[in-house]
Amino acid sequence: MPGRSRTTKKLAQRIDLNYFKRLYAIPSWRRRLSFGLVLVGLLWLGWEALSGKQRPYNAGPVSHAHALLTRNCTACHVAQAVFGRKVTDQACLTCHDAPAHQTAQTFTPVCMDCHVEHQGSPRLASTRDASCTQCHRDLKTDGKPAGYVTAIASFDGQHPEFAPLRPGHTDPGTVRLNHQVHLKKDLRGPNGTLVQVKCADCHPREQADIVPVNFEKHCLSCHPLQFDKRFVESVPHKKPDVEREFMTAKFTEYIGAHPEEVRTADPGDPRTMRPPLPPARNAAEWIARRIDDSERLLWRKTCKECHTLNFGPGSSLPEIPKAAIPAVWMPHAEFGHRAHQMVNCAECHAGATKSQETSDILLPGIQTCRTCHRSGADFADARCSECHLYHDWSKEKKIEGKFTLLGF
Amino acid sequence: MRIDRTHRAWATATIIALVFASIVYIAYAVRSPGGPRGGTALGLTFGIAGYALMLYAGLLGARKKVPVWRIGRAQTWMRGHLWLGLLSFPLILFHGGFAFRGPLTAVLMILFFIVIVSGVAGAAFQHYLPRIMLSEVPMETIYEEIPHVREQLRDEADELVMAGVEAEYDDKVMLREMYQEKIRPFLETPDKPGAEPPAEIFDSLRVVIPAAFHPVLDDLENICEEERQLNRQIRLYRWLHAWLLIHVPSSIALLVLGGVHAVMALRY
Repeated sequence: MPGRSRTTKKLAQRIDLNYFKRLYAIPSWRRRLSFGLVLVGLLWLGWEALSGKQRPYNAGPVSHAHALLTRNCTACHVAQAVFGRKVTDQACLTCHDAPAHQTAQTFTPVCMDCHVEHQGSPRLASTRDASCTQCHRDLKTDGKPAGYVTAIASFDGQHPEFAPLRPGHTDPGTVRLNHQVHLKKDLRGPNGTLVQVKCADCHPREQADIVPVNFEKHCLSCHPLQFDKRFVESVPHKKPDVEREFMTAKFTEYIGAHPEEVRTADPGDPRTMRPPLPPARNAAEWIARRIDDSERLLWRKTCKECHTLNFGPGSSLPEIPKAAIPAVWMPHAEFGHRAHQMVNCAECHAGATKSQETSDILLPGIQTCRTCHRSGADFADARCSECHLYHDWSKEKKIEGKFTLLGF
Repeated sequence: MRIDRTHRAWATATIIALVFASIVYIAYAVRSPGGPRGGTALGLTFGIAGYALMLYAGLLGARKKVPVWRIGRAQTWMRGHLWLGLLSFPLILFHGGFAFRGPLTAVLMILFFIVIVSGVAGAAFQHYLPRIMLSEVPMETIYEEIPHVREQLRDEADELVMAGVEAEYDDKVMLREMYQEKIRPFLETPDKPGAEPPAEIFDSLRVVIPAAFHPVLDDLENICEEERQLNRQIRLYRWLHAWLLIHVPSSIALLVLGGVHAVMALRY
């Protein structure tokens, strides 16, 4: 297409010399929007400031426990700094005691180092592993022996096996128990019925966790401490002298009600292999014979099933060592069976069905825990704070509350 | 601005700075007991560095207002704006530990995200569209002059049609009617949809109109083509500059509210 013929004058007229003096649509709207957006932002902040609210500057929602302090920043931001107000440990200690971790620790973090607020965390005690591993990765003490493994980086990495399962550790319990036998089918249960014992029959969960085994609650119904055919009740599961006292009282009461039995022939006792004897000369001898029979039964058979009985020189009563069943196997950690109730007992306590010895420690090892508890979004939490407490709450001091109900 | 090999040094420096900052951040995030936060020494360092880069990027606007200032070439400022502005985004994310839970910080991060996305889109437009403009709009003029140029094109076309040409009266009438009916509406409202005359109309007119009018037809066709190109220029110009309607206001609001955030965060 040929170009048009145009004079220089025509070409010069094409240029509007004043065009730059006018503001055209896009630059004009750019200016208006810039001003408007800044104005909206400042009006918002100004409105909040005039309403006495500091909400826009809130760094994030506080934890559930501190929710009522959301509108009262100065409850925690108390310390007057050069510019503004800061949070110090003192503010936390107004409401919370924080007993020291260890006496031999070389470093004490401030509260906020571990308990980070304004993150909407439902539980401030759920701290990050770095809170613990900043020291425990390479543990130093102030000269005293550490008493713990000194290099722990994480649960699913560098964490030692649980103490009771490490070599050299044994079950301190003295009560003989064969788990395998107890878990057999068709055992004779209460009243002679045949039963299949389940874990929870002897290890029931009450409230939050499994309660320690108690003879009266968990054993007696199948293992009665019957001492004589004349009585259906058992001797109390107490020390031997208490049992003897109980039996003496029972036989005295009995012979008082049945005096004719003193003069009847004594047929012997097949349970203890005692041969027949002539009739007793008086009630005292009759009682002594019955107690002797009962104690033979108890000391040689009934009690011996579970306990080791030591007869000291010249003593007619045995010494029975304390059961010494640990109520807490891992004193430096917390574990709740309730949170794990959906898992079959044998999944973690796999050795229970085959265990024959008391000395078998049936705790699950760390690898069992790591099946579920490990790093990663698809696994159960594996943070230190899941099992361990930092503060030694046995040394907790009482807090005198300072706030008033309307003070919040 | 075209993003070509002259940007290589800026891009390399930005990537190196980003890698370095990422390494520092990862080490800090893993080892920090309370997790990465804006209030820690390193968190503040990231925040100050990020805000400083944002301020520098924002100064491009001031630099453009006073082009005669001898404070570096405009191209250097533009490259710095592009790359350092981009770098400020990860630095600010590191500052907040990838969290922005508070109302003001959430607003700031939304604004920042808008600024970065609109800026990247704008950079892409500025890279590709000038080449398209060059090939498709050879008759390009200063955008703000377009209304004035269009007025002149209309006058020029009117004059061409009304000018005396040695021809039969009927032929003159035919040309003027055709002009009034098919071409003048387009020159009157060139951006109205459907106003543009079809390209083949001039070929068909050349068949029915005497050769004496053909130079006039050529000029009219040329004027219509220029109008078409001005339409195209307007469309391309809007793509080239409309993103600034989002980018600039968001950037200014971000800088102002970011300053408020800095003051208030240091206070608490």
